[in-house]
Amino acid sequence: MQELLIIRSAGFQQLDKNLSEIIRRFPNHRISLLTHEHGVQPARKYKDIDRIYVYPYTEGFHARRKVPDFKGKPFDAVIVLVSNLSGSGFSNVMRFSLTIRAKRRYICNLVSEIREVTAAGIRMKHVLNVCFAGLAGCATVIAALFATAFLLVQWKRIAKKE
Amino acid sequence: MKDPLVSIVMLCWNRRDDVRESLSRIRESTYSNVEIIAVDNGSTDGTPQMIEENFPEVRLLRMPENIGIAAYNAGFEQAKGKYIVILDDDSFPEKHAIERMVRRFEADPRLGVVAFDVRNYYNYDDIKNVDEMVDNSSTVANHRYYMSFNGAGAGVRADVFRQAGYYPEEFFLYNNELDTAFRIWDAGYTIQSFPDIVGYHKYSPVNRGSWRAPFYYTRNAFWVIWKNYPAQQALKHTAELIFRCFYHSFEQRTWIYLRAMASAFALIGKLRGKRKPVDPDIARRLRAPININFTFYR
Repeated sequence: MQELLIIRSAGFQQLDKNLSEIIRRFPNHRISLLTHEHGVQPARKYKDIDRIYVYPYTEGFHARRKVPDFKGKPFDAVIVLVSNLSGSGFSNVMRFSLTIRAKRRYICNLVSEIREVTAAGIRMKHVLNVCFAGLAGCATVIAALFATAFLLVQWKRIAKKE
Repeated sequence: MKDPLVSIVMLCWNRRDDVRESLSRIRESTYSNVEIIAVDNGSTDGTPQMIEENFPEVRLLRMPENIGIAAYNAGFEQAKGKYIVILDDDSFPEKHAIERMVRRFEADPRLGVVAFDVRNYYNYDDIKNVDEMVDNSSTVANHRYYMSFNGAGAGVRADVFRQAGYYPEEFFLYNNELDTAFRIWDAGYTIQSFPDIVGYHKYSPVNRGSWRAPFYYTRNAFWVIWKNYPAQQALKHTAELIFRCFYHSFEQRTWIYLRAMASAFALIGKLRGKRKPVDPDIARRLRAPININFTFYR
């Protein structure tokens, strides 16, 4: 029996839809799920999910926030759920998936299309995203200065009168 | 003692067949002391006529045009129940859900919202391993952080909801539940989910690529921050959100997030008299995943 891990980075309604396709595409795999604490009880309802791991942080998935339970634990496949078609907006989760020992990594999108992504591809995307982050950081410094001044003026105007 | 009245408020907009099915399913509920209020948001596909012809027990409120979530508030104001069940036009509660919800509310006077476990109508029954007939008294508890709720299936204590001001009408669409959640927690009430209280939703990927979700989610995320966070946290989260708007604009090669940000600032006047910072501990503990705004598009 091979080991498969689903990272629940999309809502349960999407997982309800994706799970049948994942089972079909990965026969002979024992399925585990990684979810935040509030997702544990809803996740227990799946008859085909063998084990649930809790992501022990409040924040979203991030490469710096590793899961201690996965130390030395290998998976044959790791699947990241993405709530759009392309997977854009999920680079943090893809990078997090690199902290898990896995032979193969996949994206499963909102219409249950499953495609493999390589570690090199994730890293290349990350390099591009670092460039975007640099640009966004510069733009934010300028915009945030104006925004702060604007909001400090507006606070009183939008404050609720007691 | 007589069972308390529950008001079911459903918002409808051009989904005649889905509304027909949802209202039919509501008839199967094991809880009988209900009033059903359907608020039609200016449908042009015959939804209100269908309701009048087939569901005489339903009280129909017609809006002259699509006024967004403000139409929900029109329904909430008419509700006479001690508790209100909020539904979309393509969602409905599992038949035991309302009965179990009432029991939980009656047992815990500080329970403000019962967040239904909203599942995918098309697939959930095939993949679940539990029988919804079975009562399960446990909550989806987590003690480190607080949660919001999903407006496609939730029960609300009516007087608490009224005190919270219902939904923020200026939002028009999306993130309204999160804004309401801040005020409910801040009023000293809790929002809890119970695994045996299930709602079904016709989860559809079809509309997810539309500009509406990224635009309104993002614009309203700014407004949620400005309305509810204490000043220092609000400025910090605003800067984070500005960064994300720029970053995801580059990443997804779209202007939609910058347009949403510009709209948030330009229309800040709509928040006049509505900023009331919550207790800093609530602001810290309520899980407000603003990143999610950037994952619907493309």
